[in-house]
Amino acid sequence: MTPIEFRRRVFLAGITAITGSAVLTACGGPAATSSSDAGTPVDGGNITFLIQGYDTGWVSSKTSISSYEGNLWGQITDKLVYVDDKGQLSPWVASSWEELNGAKDFVLHLKDGVTFSDGTPLDAAAVVANLNAWAKGAPERGVSKVGLFPSSNFVSAEAADAKTVKVSFSSPALGFIATLAYHGCILLSPKTLALPVDAQADLAQEIGSGPFVLKSWKQGDSYVLEKRKDYNWGPAALGHTGPARLDTITYKVIKDTSVRTSTVASGQAEVAFNVEPQEIESLKAQGFTVGTPKYLGFVDGFQVNTQAFPTNDSSVRQAIQHGIDREEIRNTVYTEDWDAATTFIQGNVPEAGDYSSAFAFDADKAKKLLDDAGWKPGPDGFRVKDGKVLEFPLTPNPYVPSTKAEDELIAQQLERIGIKVNLKVVDVAGYAAIQASRPPLFQTSRSFVDVGTVAGVLTSQNNGENWFNLGTSDQKLNELSTAIASASDRESREKIAGELQQYVLEQGYFIPLNQLVQRLYLISPAVKGVQYNGLAYANFYTAWVAK
Amino acid sequence: MTSGYGRFALARAGQAAVVVLLAYVLTFLVISVLPGDAITNSLRDPQSGLSEADIQRIVEFYGLDQPVLVQLALSLGRFLTGELGFSLQSNLPVSQIVGDALPSTLTLATMALAIAVVFAVAIAYGAHYAPPRWAGILRSIPSFFLSVPNFVIGLVLIELFAFRLHSFTTTDPNSATATLFAAVTLAIPVSAPLAEVLIASLDHESRQEYALVARSRGLAEAQLFARHLVKPSALPSVAMVALIVGELLGGSVITETIFGRDGIGTVVQKAVTGEDQPVLQAVVSLSAVVFVAVNLAADLLTPLLDPRVNVREAANA
Repeated sequence: MTPIEFRRRVFLAGITAITGSAVLTACGGPAATSSSDAGTPVDGGNITFLIQGYDTGWVSSKTSISSYEGNLWGQITDKLVYVDDKGQLSPWVASSWEELNGAKDFVLHLKDGVTFSDGTPLDAAAVVANLNAWAKGAPERGVSKVGLFPSSNFVSAEAADAKTVKVSFSSPALGFIATLAYHGCILLSPKTLALPVDAQADLAQEIGSGPFVLKSWKQGDSYVLEKRKDYNWGPAALGHTGPARLDTITYKVIKDTSVRTSTVASGQAEVAFNVEPQEIESLKAQGFTVGTPKYLGFVDGFQVNTQAFPTNDSSVRQAIQHGIDREEIRNTVYTEDWDAATTFIQGNVPEAGDYSSAFAFDADKAKKLLDDAGWKPGPDGFRVKDGKVLEFPLTPNPYVPSTKAEDELIAQQLERIGIKVNLKVVDVAGYAAIQASRPPLFQTSRSFVDVGTVAGVLTSQNNGENWFNLGTSDQKLNELSTAIASASDRESREKIAGELQQYVLEQGYFIPLNQLVQRLYLISPAVKGVQYNGLAYANFYTAWVAK
Repeated sequence: MTSGYGRFALARAGQAAVVVLLAYVLTFLVISVLPGDAITNSLRDPQSGLSEADIQRIVEFYGLDQPVLVQLALSLGRFLTGELGFSLQSNLPVSQIVGDALPSTLTLATMALAIAVVFAVAIAYGAHYAPPRWAGILRSIPSFFLSVPNFVIGLVLIELFAFRLHSFTTTDPNSATATLFAAVTLAIPVSAPLAEVLIASLDHESRQEYALVARSRGLAEAQLFARHLVKPSALPSVAMVALIVGELLGGSVITETIFGRDGIGTVVQKAVTGEDQPVLQAVVSLSAVVFVAVNLAADLLTPLLDPRVNVREAANA
């Protein structure tokens, strides 16, 4: 598949160079790139959204976090809380909330008059059903829980009255409210949640309360959504009330990236998902908008296995940390839309600090670290110690576009300081096996809404994900993650989070690259008012088409 | 003759059933050898944040934790009773997934086959009767058709007819025009071997004595072609068409991907990527059945069309 794919791209690049520019010029309109949202919004209009695949069905717990299905879920469902691209939380279906008893108990107050698209009320009972589904899932029916929901300390959710929900945890759950804004926590009708997993796979059975409803569809091929005329409970933060402005959105599967791009460029569709980063500049010059939203979460980077050769040597970890030229990656593989990382979490997470000196590019420093640790240059330029060559395998993260080009460049950069990197490219299926084998460096992509999530991945405490394979051996890391997980006020937690970022980076447990852009949107100049939430999904509730 | 033909037919049908069964078992074992499975692959997305224990519970629900041979026995048992099960990737019924995709592929394949036959006959006729200079060019066309990759043809057609001439839109791949261009894309490489075989057998038949006799009696070349040469020349092509059906199913993956059509090729591609065993088993079995059935039909037809074929020998072979 890869050589074919590659040749096709190269071929198409040629075609585009020869004829495409003519098409672009003809259809792109003026090259003005000033505010794309100028003008007065108008009602009506239809857009077609091209996406590479809808392959995994519509079981919400499995697909709501997907880059592909997640785009459509966001239009047909609501959440209790809204999170904007700065990480700010604001009311949505929950009009207000109270945090009691040191963040162990919560009270959610629901908006009046919210209904699912089948007319049944979205009341406290419905919210309780959703909370239980997120926390526990139904493994006996093949339905998994929502991964990032704080379920280990979840005790209960109950309806105090039709508009009030009480939620209890056994220990402080500072991240609970933020999690309600997470894309895994979409509100669905209790009827839908009670269905067997095979029935949930059918999108027609998925009853949400969002600004759009499913009108017609052909599974895996195209989905037509139309606006709900009685919708009036969008997040106030979006600055719009009442129903959506667009009449319909058609999600249409077109697998080939170059065909998706050309289709929008030639004016046959309005939005294309995930175009090649290299094409952004020329598309922008033609007047197209390219959305590169950044989600709240971890940056693009590597979890380091501290027990595997050669990253069990802390000087090797440090050398890699300082041996990677992240600016060269941005300039070569990406565009100016990508931001430098300042720590291992994305810059829009409120707790993110600037610890960039802990991983600043300095080849001489990296070489010296290796020299001092006894890694001497061998006959072929790669360093050797005790008869072992300084080498390790590296696999690009197949869930993120262009990580292959990125990791190829990293391999070259590390070669310059005498480290041999053996690149191994796999597909999504192979990546699960790579993860299970615990390689020295594992490239990750993970969004979260609350910094508390970080505490759950660092060590093996409380069934943690043990990203660095330290178990509970690093006493300082244990203390820091416990302190974050059990913090009951945000200020003290922010201080600990800062200490934690510094420590993890200095120890070389996590090697950040750049801030992650996992979702790219190519948008026609006529489409205005698209907004992005903190999970980097485009929201078309406020979008409109200029006449 | 009749009993000989009956035995021959029975032996061929038996072989066909064994081939289908072997295809099923082989596919199952090949997928089992691949790392991971459909459920783990999707739940292990770094985004999901599920623990190994959470994932294990779901894997158990689908019975994917059992030994491969037990899974194979269960799966084969269901298959033999006609139950195709549910997709592991999308949770939808396999019969629905295949049923939704089949019409699109059948339309495409039928249209492509028809176009391929027209191309092949036109090339063969021209190669045989055109003035020598043109005939030479026409004779080299099949190898040219074979050497241009399918996706190149498809992308050129899309760039030219969809984006520049606006004959069709890529967002509506099932429209008649879009289907026609997809069928041409698929037909071009498929017509090549057919044309080769036709040219070769036309050359052969026109040198036969009966053709010589017909010519000496003053029959025009066109009449000779239509009345005497077409039928014997078509005989080897019957076997060729049977092979081509396989290529139509296989080649449709790339054509469907490029033209954005949702057909069997796309279903296979998704199922392979996602290691969606139930879907893959169903499609492979379906393809095996189609392939075997067409070849069986060709095998059974040949002795009826050509009395020179000795069924007794064939049955014992």
